[in-house]
Amino acid sequence: MSASFDPNALSERVKAIPGGDMLMMCYSCGTCTSKCMVQTKLEESYNPRRLIREAVFNMEEAAFADKTTWLCTACDLCYPACPQKIHISGVINAVKTLAVESGKITPYQVAKVDELTCVACGLCVKICPYEAISPVEKRVAFRGNITVASVDAGKCMACGLCTAACRSTSIRLAQDYNDADIVETLLSWLEAERASS
Amino acid sequence: MVDAARQPLIEVKTFTEVEKVEGYVGNFVVTLREKAKYVRADRCNGCGACTKACPVEIPNYFEMNLAPRKAAYIPMSQAVPLIYNIDMDACIHCYKCVEACGSLEAIDFSMEDKLEEQEIGAIIVATGFGHFDPTPMTEYGYGRFPNVVTAMEMERLNNSAGPTHGALIRPSDSKEPKNIAIINCVGSRDKRYNPSCSNFCCMYAIKNALLIKQMHPGTEVSVYYIDIRTPSKGYEEFYDRAREAGIRFIQGRPAEITEDPDTHQLFIASEDITLGKVIEREYDMVMLNQAAVPQPDQNHMSSVLNVAQSPGGWFMEYHPKLRPMDSPTDGIFFAGACQGPKDIPASVAQGSAAAARASRILHSDSWQIEPTVAVVWPDRCVSAKDQACGICSRACPYGAIDYSKGLAAEVITAKCHGCGGCVGECPHDAITQLHYTDAQVLSQIRTLLAVEPEKKILAFRCQWCSYGGADLAGTSHFEYSANERGLRVMCSARMDADLIYEAYRLGAGAILYSGCHPQDCHYITGQISGAKRAARLEKMFERMQMSPGRFRVEWISAAEGDKYARVINEMQATLDAIPEDALKAEIERLRPEMEKKLTKLEDVPGVAQAMVQVDFIVDEMVGKEKTA
Repeated sequence: MSASFDPNALSERVKAIPGGDMLMMCYSCGTCTSKCMVQTKLEESYNPRRLIREAVFNMEEAAFADKTTWLCTACDLCYPACPQKIHISGVINAVKTLAVESGKITPYQVAKVDELTCVACGLCVKICPYEAISPVEKRVAFRGNITVASVDAGKCMACGLCTAACRSTSIRLAQDYNDADIVETLLSWLEAERASS
Repeated sequence: MVDAARQPLIEVKTFTEVEKVEGYVGNFVVTLREKAKYVRADRCNGCGACTKACPVEIPNYFEMNLAPRKAAYIPMSQAVPLIYNIDMDACIHCYKCVEACGSLEAIDFSMEDKLEEQEIGAIIVATGFGHFDPTPMTEYGYGRFPNVVTAMEMERLNNSAGPTHGALIRPSDSKEPKNIAIINCVGSRDKRYNPSCSNFCCMYAIKNALLIKQMHPGTEVSVYYIDIRTPSKGYEEFYDRAREAGIRFIQGRPAEITEDPDTHQLFIASEDITLGKVIEREYDMVMLNQAAVPQPDQNHMSSVLNVAQSPGGWFMEYHPKLRPMDSPTDGIFFAGACQGPKDIPASVAQGSAAAARASRILHSDSWQIEPTVAVVWPDRCVSAKDQACGICSRACPYGAIDYSKGLAAEVITAKCHGCGGCVGECPHDAITQLHYTDAQVLSQIRTLLAVEPEKKILAFRCQWCSYGGADLAGTSHFEYSANERGLRVMCSARMDADLIYEAYRLGAGAILYSGCHPQDCHYITGQISGAKRAARLEKMFERMQMSPGRFRVEWISAAEGDKYARVINEMQATLDAIPEDALKAEIERLRPEMEKKLTKLEDVPGVAQAMVQVDFIVDEMVGKEKTA
């Protein structure tokens, strides 16, 4: 890491993106990490404070590979807790934007569209809280030139709202929390209930 | 306190409020309201029989409401003077105290508040600080969780003279806590409440932790912190001692406290910064180390004393580094935390300094002030002609100008610090500043622009910063354009728009309007009003389509000699870039507009005569130069 000012350094690029401008105000108190639901319920190595430090010290590779970059749901629980009033999800989103721009994609699953059955009704576009789905016109095998939904892997957080909304089951989460898994879990609960009664 | 009360030259007035402060240094008239105690000081012997007899019990604020007190009470056992007091808000008028007092007849229900005026030479303000109430920080549950206490409550609980006689118990079940957490920076270093650091709480947390550990060795104490700040002599060693004693220091600010509603046990999950992991720990009791904040009535006190407040609400000192004990008003001094959070050694040092400063006033017959004070021409002041104005009074950062409609504005000379801000603001040129009168400054402008004015850069510099900056540029041998002509006034607030117009009317090539950076201003808000005027002028000249760069506003400190030289060189470069004919044509084009703005100047007393003299001298000198 060079000590001289570099406008292309990660920290400068993060600061230039709206939401990332307060990056340098962090004094590393750790409130965000202890407030974070993703950290406490989902992924132990998730740590917004560490991601901010990585951005401050221009550790580009580490920041782009950090799970924090990809798992933040922008629930903004940390924002009102931050004593420096830093919009932390804004900073994380800035890092993520840069990561996507440099060609990285999320290591986690994203929603998948079944283009053979999608009817382009637009329900998923409307319901997506991350504005990750948009209609595109493309050539699909057996169907010709049609409009179908398309998922932006850089924006999708795999929340599954689109899956629940889709009326033709054309948009799905393929790995975790897929329909088969959920049905299986529900059935096992049901069986357990029956056995106990 | 007892010593102070015994000193014959010190009069201690308790339960007394300052209602009004008038006058100026050496001659203050202070109105005091001595509140009725309903106990006669000359008869009460402090036996306490009234307290024993009183049937009323209310929360004791000295014990942080953890213990009761009677309506007939003393605020604390070390109260000076030891005279009882009846709280009329709580009293039920059973008169049992009167019976108990018996033949002493010290209790007198007919007493009333006494108003008294005193002549005072100097005032030392030592009103202290208040505590941040952590209730709005709902994440820490203060008020909801019984075992979350504030630092002051812990102080009373752990005090052998306190409500529990030193037995450390937790409020929910009165059991001794075995595991205590202290959370630092509650409400301080927090932009949602108080952005600043409260200075002493790190030491305070360590002190409390050590005290608990010493008195109850079986207790575990953990301190949550963002940074531990132990900057003074011996403080770091104290921190060492705490770690040696086994107190756990955990770096990381907890986001919230959760509670088991049945057992009232508390849980803190916080990130340990050094580990980078979230650690959850269970505690019997949590102490919130709250921020120090200004007293709740600090705003009121500030208006009574007519002293300004810093952004955080603390009283504002004359100069943060050089005169931290002086208020901007001569004769008023600060001691201790009313000026900003401070620990005991710093408060004692500041208090002694303030006392020395005050005694300097009391021991002198006269008081020296800057000679550059403002003076009003009463016949020019529109207020005397029954017009509502008061611009000068509002412009004065020291409240030194008395204004009332129907009377000419009056400068209280002893309060004036000589910035000239009122002179710069007065739209009728009815006020002037000694040694920087309009006549004097205009004479300088005229002399500096006597020869080839279109080639000159006229630099208005403020005495304290940009003049020093220019000086430093000179002593450091930073080379800058020889066409610069410097002109000193006390403050950028004095740089009257008329002076700028006149300089352009005379054909000045470029003008620099320079002063201190806003936080460095020698005259509290002088730079701010100067900057406002400069922005107005910039806009106006832009509308007049003056070439950009001919009017430049720069804030240059006394340490920025290089900046001064750079700015002047840049201005020279912009001047060079304008063709000479175009510049002359522009000056001619703008001259009538400047003249339009300048109608009143000749009427200002002294100006016309001075101009005749200056013109005569300039003609002589320029004539000689030409012949030679």
